[in-house]
Amino acid sequence: MSFMSPFLLLGAAGIALPIIAHILNNHKFQHTDWAAMRFLNTAAKVKSREIRIKDILLLILRCLAILMLALVISRPLVDEESSVLSSFGERRAGVIIALDASYSMLHKDGAISRFDRAKEKVKRMVANLTPGDPITFLLLGMEHRIVLRNRAFHSDTFLEVLEEQVAHPEALDLDSVPRRLRELVDEMDAPQKEVYIVTDVQEQDWKLGASRLKYALKDLGDSAKLVMVPVSGSHENLSITKFEFVSGVLRKDTSARYSVTVNNFGNQPAVGVKVSGKINNITVDQQMIPRIAPGSAETVSLFLSFQNPGPARISAHIQDDDLPLDNIRRAVAIIRDRVSILCVDGDGGQTFLSSALLAREGGVEEKDYSVTTIPWVNFPAHDLSLYDVVVMAGVPTITEDQTKKLDLFVRKGNGLVWLPGEKTKWKSWNERAKLGESSLLPAELEGVIKTGGAMGVGRPLSLDIPEHSVSNPLRSLSEDLLSEARFLKVYQVNPSPNSTTLLKLAGNAYPLLLEHSHGRGQVFMFTSLAGTEWNNMALTPLFPMLLQQMVTYLTSREFEKPRLVGNSLKLSYVEEPDVIEAVFESPSGDSLTVPVHSHRNQHAAILGQADEVGFYLAMGTLQSPALPIAVNVDTSESMVKCLSAESYDETFSNTGVKIASSDDELEASIMDSRSKISLWKFFGILGCLIMLIEGILCCRLPKGKREVPVTKGA
Amino acid sequence: MSSDHSKVEYLKPEILKSLGNLELIAKEIVAGQKVGAHRSNLKGFSSEFSHHRPYAPGDPIRDLDWRVFARTEKYYTKLYEAETNFECQVLLDASSSMNYASGEVSKLEYSKYLAASICYLILNQQDTVGLSVFDSRLRAHVPPKSTMGILVEIEKSLREIDSLPKDSLSKQLHDTALQLKRRSFVILISDLFSDVDDLMSGLDHLKHDGHNVIVLQTLDPYELDFPFKGTWRFEGLESEEELITQPDRIRTDYLKNLDEHLTQVRDRCVRSNVDYLQLNTSHSLGLALSRFLQSRTMERMGPTSGISS
Repeated sequence: MSFMSPFLLLGAAGIALPIIAHILNNHKFQHTDWAAMRFLNTAAKVKSREIRIKDILLLILRCLAILMLALVISRPLVDEESSVLSSFGERRAGVIIALDASYSMLHKDGAISRFDRAKEKVKRMVANLTPGDPITFLLLGMEHRIVLRNRAFHSDTFLEVLEEQVAHPEALDLDSVPRRLRELVDEMDAPQKEVYIVTDVQEQDWKLGASRLKYALKDLGDSAKLVMVPVSGSHENLSITKFEFVSGVLRKDTSARYSVTVNNFGNQPAVGVKVSGKINNITVDQQMIPRIAPGSAETVSLFLSFQNPGPARISAHIQDDDLPLDNIRRAVAIIRDRVSILCVDGDGGQTFLSSALLAREGGVEEKDYSVTTIPWVNFPAHDLSLYDVVVMAGVPTITEDQTKKLDLFVRKGNGLVWLPGEKTKWKSWNERAKLGESSLLPAELEGVIKTGGAMGVGRPLSLDIPEHSVSNPLRSLSEDLLSEARFLKVYQVNPSPNSTTLLKLAGNAYPLLLEHSHGRGQVFMFTSLAGTEWNNMALTPLFPMLLQQMVTYLTSREFEKPRLVGNSLKLSYVEEPDVIEAVFESPSGDSLTVPVHSHRNQHAAILGQADEVGFYLAMGTLQSPALPIAVNVDTSESMVKCLSAESYDETFSNTGVKIASSDDELEASIMDSRSKISLWKFFGILGCLIMLIEGILCCRLPKGKREVPVTKGA
Repeated sequence: MSSDHSKVEYLKPEILKSLGNLELIAKEIVAGQKVGAHRSNLKGFSSEFSHHRPYAPGDPIRDLDWRVFARTEKYYTKLYEAETNFECQVLLDASSSMNYASGEVSKLEYSKYLAASICYLILNQQDTVGLSVFDSRLRAHVPPKSTMGILVEIEKSLREIDSLPKDSLSKQLHDTALQLKRRSFVILISDLFSDVDDLMSGLDHLKHDGHNVIVLQTLDPYELDFPFKGTWRFEGLESEEELITQPDRIRTDYLKNLDEHLTQVRDRCVRSNVDYLQLNTSHSLGLALSRFLQSRTMERMGPTSGISS
């Protein structure tokens, strides 16, 4: 016999109380002289022996009652087969059911999804559960949602709750599952604990993470019986894993090229995959991928032309398959009426800069796209509200007023590109660019450093280029082309903590291009100017490519960047808003009110987590136009291939996890897990009976002796 | 009253103070040797007319009512009431059962206070009082006197009592009836833990001899409530066999038996024209006594019974 709370057995020491009371009162009659003896019932005379026997009987009963109470509170358990007492007890268990609710569970084999099949398994699990047993029910996902926590089991209520549950369009954070389950196991108070994980056992999660999961599962298995209930199925699935802007200008009456990558996660080749691009739900382009081999991906370009300015909801679609959720990918493009760039020339004669910005042969200005170049001395008088991007090239220094002017300009969501020049007073820039604790520029300048070799050959770019809209085109360039760019001199810089280095020189890792966000806008900073004494960028296609990408990137808004389910959505304000709350409208039409927070003169409303896929609408104020934000699924969940039955042994060996693939195995696992029999109720009933007998003896025994009539006064 | 008398142990000033303004008025007129505040039933030399009766040979001629004779031509003798004092005999039961005390004061001590208080009161009214203390036999006897000096004798008698179990109350009552030469007040103070028939035979004897009998039954609160818990050994004060019992078991029966006994005593007393009062030794003696005396004043024409509160 074992006990759930063995230390409470100390309560059995309480039997000392009736024994002490008995010893103290044993045969200790109180004595009195008495005048009215004639009225006493002499038949009620008590013999010492009678008292002793009765007292000892009552003493034994009281001791037994206390012992039973101690047994009840220490909650004894016996093994089903090891004790005859087991036939008086009952199987009691605390059950934790973790149901995988990631969107891979929506994959259908025929008409019924994995999630629905998992629900059926759960129903089977709870069929043998005794009403009142503690149960915890949670849905696994990126955030594990606890539906019932340590609640007394009631079949109808539980099934009702189970029916209401749906899978969520998010990936499964498997690493956190054992830890979360351990917490729930620890807080559960039950004679024996069982944990059932009902999942599709995606190979990519379970196999790849097996080594780190093993330890965690073993640890969990020490506290509870762990049963894995796989809900596997076919893994045919096509998914759009990428949908991103490649080139073009997001401007009215122009076209942009978007690339769409479709992955085939299945075993069979996908033939004739039709990919369509939609703007505001109207199909504007359609492409066909003739064949996608199993396990590979194909990319196709969609050309989307924008007719109207303003935010455009764009999406790429493929035809529905067994898992429709990942067949659509969404993005938002803010289409500008026109793009105006102000190029502030500090060195004089930087015509190649405006040529690079125009990116047209001969520097011809295009309709709805203008580049204005002014000498830096004219900058203070210039109205920045007419421009979308300001390029400060070789400007020696600026005043504090100009810094404030640029600060406000960027905060409103515009872009700033900063390049040094021969006359740049870097110390002055460091000082003037400071805005309290932050800075207008993404790095502090620390002086010019020569990066050329002894032969006068400059240092090439590092090939380690991060993924970013600006640097992505460079990633697609050949190594030869990249290595053509050579740098003789750069400014050594100290990047600020929240800046990103997009390009750096090979070897000693001098940053070349840095970026940071400022308010709703972005600032790019080159550390080398476009002069032949510094580098040969002007002679290579790199410079115009980078500038074009930057302009495109800067003329887009924060909201263009798609989010994933589970990400936060942020709405930034340029100036302190006159409202305290912003409203986010979910794709299903729910309005979510979010408070506006202010920090260091920055104002933003943040929706903690996007739960749905589709286009959210962010409304800063009641009057302001709604800004769409695209929310997509995390395609890591699209690889729906399940762990094969043969792999279970390898994956779950030495973890104590039982696999219950079939209903029979599940039934057997439940019976095997619930081997302990709880006896507290038995001892409780026994204790009550003893108390009852004690009470009856206490009252009844004396009465039986009191029958002879007493002496009358007469 | 002289200052010497205040030294008497039983005459508690706080008890007597509450009784000071009360007059003890006998229920019936007792013949007396001295003229006091009590009317005598002996018609005699007095100016207060009582009533007429037909003339009988031997009646004094001077008492003939000539005016009635003139109207009716019949002889009627005028009868007058004479004011007199009375004689009181206090009978105090000092048997062993009276020694029971659940608190500080035993029934006997309480009865002693009571007897002394009554004696003082009667003496204070210029009447005569005597005291007999008995258990199985007469233990002390103080003949009736009208001087306060008798209180000292009474106190001495009470102090010397060494209790013995009583066998019969009626024996002492019969003896008292034989001893009393005059019609008197007889006040019996006892717990009356004896046979009711035996008691009533003695009381009836006294009534038959024309005495005015008052019975004061003193009982301990424990005897009235029986509040014992646990297992107790009861040792009889009147030489009964000891009893070990659990009072919880017999309390109901005990109270029933006691109540039957008390009811019987009270009813028989009323029937025999004997005044009866039950006194609880936990209650104020002065208050109980004064209430009894008040009730006697209010209901002087008939016997009373009651329980002191």
